Amino acid sequence: MPPEAWVTALVSLEGMGPARLRALGASFGEPRSSWEQVVGGKVHRHPDMAAVMGQRPDRVAALWAADAALIDPAMFWQRHVDAGVGVVVHGGPAYPDLLAADPEPPVILFQLGDPDVVVGPRVAIVGTRDCTRYGHELAFELAGDLSAAGVSIVSGLALGIDSAAHAGAVEVDGAPPIAVVGSGLDVIYPRRNGPLWREVARRGVIWSEYPLGSAAAGWHFPARNRLIAALSDVVVVVESHATGGALLTVDEALQRDRTVMAVPGPVRSAASAGTNQLLADGPATTVARDASDVLAALGMAPGSRRRAAERRARPLPGDQSVLDAMGWQPVTTDHLLLRTGLTFPDLAGALNRLEGDGWVAQRGGWFERRAKPGA
Amino acid sequence: MLATITSATLLGVSGRVVRVEVHVSTGLPGFSIVGLPDASCRESRDRVRAALLTCNLRWPNKRVTVNLAPGGFRKGGSGLDLAIAMGLLVADEQVPLEVVHDIAFIGEMGLDGSIRPVPGILPMVDALDVATVVVPTASAIEAQLVERHQVRVADNITSLLATLIGDEPWPPLPAPEDLPPWPDPPDLADVRGQPTARYALEVAAAGGHHLLMSGPPGSGKTMLAQRIAGLLPELGHDAAMETTRVHSAAGVSLPPGGLVRRAPFRAPHHGASAVAIVGGGGSLVRPGEISVATNGVLFLDEMAEFRADVLDSLRQPLEEGVVRVARAASRVTFPARFLLVAAMNPCPCGDGGSPGGCRCSDRAMDRYARRLSGPLLDRFDLRVPVMRPDEGDVVGGSPGESTAVVAARVLAARTRACQRGVHANGELRGAALDEWAPLTPGSADRLKELLRQGRLSARGLQRIRRVALTIADLAGHDGPVAIDHVETALQLRCDPVSVTQRWAGRS
Repeated sequence: MPPEAWVTALVSLEGMGPARLRALGASFGEPRSSWEQVVGGKVHRHPDMAAVMGQRPDRVAALWAADAALIDPAMFWQRHVDAGVGVVVHGGPAYPDLLAADPEPPVILFQLGDPDVVVGPRVAIVGTRDCTRYGHELAFELAGDLSAAGVSIVSGLALGIDSAAHAGAVEVDGAPPIAVVGSGLDVIYPRRNGPLWREVARRGVIWSEYPLGSAAAGWHFPARNRLIAALSDVVVVVESHATGGALLTVDEALQRDRTVMAVPGPVRSAASAGTNQLLADGPATTVARDASDVLAALGMAPGSRRRAAERRARPLPGDQSVLDAMGWQPVTTDHLLLRTGLTFPDLAGALNRLEGDGWVAQRGGWFERRAKPGA
Repeated sequence: MLATITSATLLGVSGRVVRVEVHVSTGLPGFSIVGLPDASCRESRDRVRAALLTCNLRWPNKRVTVNLAPGGFRKGGSGLDLAIAMGLLVADEQVPLEVVHDIAFIGEMGLDGSIRPVPGILPMVDALDVATVVVPTASAIEAQLVERHQVRVADNITSLLATLIGDEPWPPLPAPEDLPPWPDPPDLADVRGQPTARYALEVAAAGGHHLLMSGPPGSGKTMLAQRIAGLLPELGHDAAMETTRVHSAAGVSLPPGGLVRRAPFRAPHHGASAVAIVGGGGSLVRPGEISVATNGVLFLDEMAEFRADVLDSLRQPLEEGVVRVARAASRVTFPARFLLVAAMNPCPCGDGGSPGGCRCSDRAMDRYARRLSGPLLDRFDLRVPVMRPDEGDVVGGSPGESTAVVAARVLAARTRACQRGVHANGELRGAALDEWAPLTPGSADRLKELLRQGRLSARGLQRIRRVALTIADLAGHDGPVAIDHVETALQLRCDPVSVTQRWAGRS
């Protein structure tokens, strides 16, 4: 079996992170001998290992040995081969150059799709899962415009901004998208993203640090964010709460001297609190208003702006006044009833027509005005 | 000597006649009750003995056997105390047999000889076939609702005997006017802002459509729900009797006039067990909250916090309007035709109402969304988000319409529904719906379009049509249901924010 097979088996053990994997390699050499040591349950006797194994190295070693006894490395490897999952290890020939030079490179990477298609510049679009329509539209639009201009979009395939960005990227037939996920490549999380997940794998590449069958654990996501930052030339935060996970990606990006950009949002919107703070904090973050701002940061010529012709039917005069009363903030029927003075049935009729024609979008009783159809 | 006294016990919400036979004979002094008494019934012996001795009556130092006939079913409760005491006095020849002829006795005895009320007087009296019924004074109004018996009251056994064997007249029956009236239900005018939720309440009350409100904490969901009972019309005689029977059997206090005229409003806490909600409990099956709420409103606050099995046990009663509780020893059918109003937070953190406001993880949202089963959610015709009102509306805003104004419109809409042969449009099914709620071509096209897009199921279509009919009724609209009514119904049926509302890819 190739050395990758033994690393795959090692990385499937509970609590086996990159630091411990590296220490195993440094202590015992070949992955195969590392595996045999782990099965023996005595890895903590090596001083270099004990240093990275926490408070009770003996207990961790015993757990690994118990875990390892249940795994047949050959069968586990065959599972990856059958699933068509590519496996590359740090130092191997197929390992992406982008990550080889990183301060914290993954010891092993699993991939779906073709990594060689990624040749051009790369921009990460990240943000909150619970985004507003404003953030969703912008992420979708930005990703589409950048992708059309030949920029690969890097994101995490989570709900909200991540999905909007990849959906925008695959919508135009542009540069191949890149995804980094926090679960095994057969564990599609969240499940509803299945179609998008397959589309990204078909056109670009999905990377994961975790072998098949790994569930998406909470601690995977910060690690995933560091790879997103490492893979990108520019990180654009579209919407982030004041303490969002996207801000962790920003920290990782700044440590790697990547350009960080943020899309400004309404100051009253909780979903934009993090991005507005980034912009307020200072010079490290620049404003991303549209694709040309990002292209300028990449040193590329701003592409021709794609402006879709207005295809939507003009609203009736009465409906227009409802649209005017909405403004650009999310509103409920309560707000609209009080602002317009209409009766509920009249307002309901207007909103249904506006939604049908693509002027407004509804989510959980909140209405948001749509700048343009499509997203 | 042998004496037989007529009394009654309760099974579910109906009364059963019990003949209390007391036999006093020579033999080893003792006292036994046979005929399947339960624990509270068996304790009668001690209460009756103390009561008789306190009132200077003789306790026979003989062998006493009390039989509760028929012996085949279990008797529970303390309502047989008075009958046992009377039987004992007759059998011990302290009271002549003739004076208790054709009289039934119901009541619990205190150790001082007082006669105390018991739950279920109305159904018990209703089951009796005698001319005169003696009940505790507090239960007189309730007993008179049956209108078939001469109702007599007694405060304690001494005065009862003075009436039966002395020359005292029967004490006067208490008049309902003497009792303090119940406070009015809270008024809708107290609610500031919230025009959407107010309208949803009106539609729910007018059509008997189940309503789900979702909104962040402090948005006034509970306040709104408490006001829906006041919007419902006063109960008709049959409905009032049905509800009163259940209230009587469940021991819920009755209004001053005895008859429950006002639609009941029940709000069980979310810790309630399935038995507390649907009824049941051992051999003596008791009505649950859904039956107490019959012809009224059952309000489930924080619905997602109720146990899933409790919520799912509501499905069959919601469909049939009755709940059949079966136990090894008994099988009882309770009425359970209620308007279900539920409130919940949109997500575990509670702030998920507004876009971008939620801080819950996808997993937490998934778990939360799974707490409500699809079939149960499907039974809510009206699903509205409730938002925190604007500051300006809360402080100093003008009050909205009062309950009286809205209730008048609700009554008018319900009157139209009665002409269709149902209490409310929510009960219209299949063919009746086609007959009474035809669609204009425009609204039919709109619904077909939604069906084609998969945004509406066949069952959802029926519900939308029913709600649209109610909206048309409220507007005083005649003829086929127009597109505006359909669209309003659609607008009142928006799913609570949950993980399905977060965007995955293209929306």
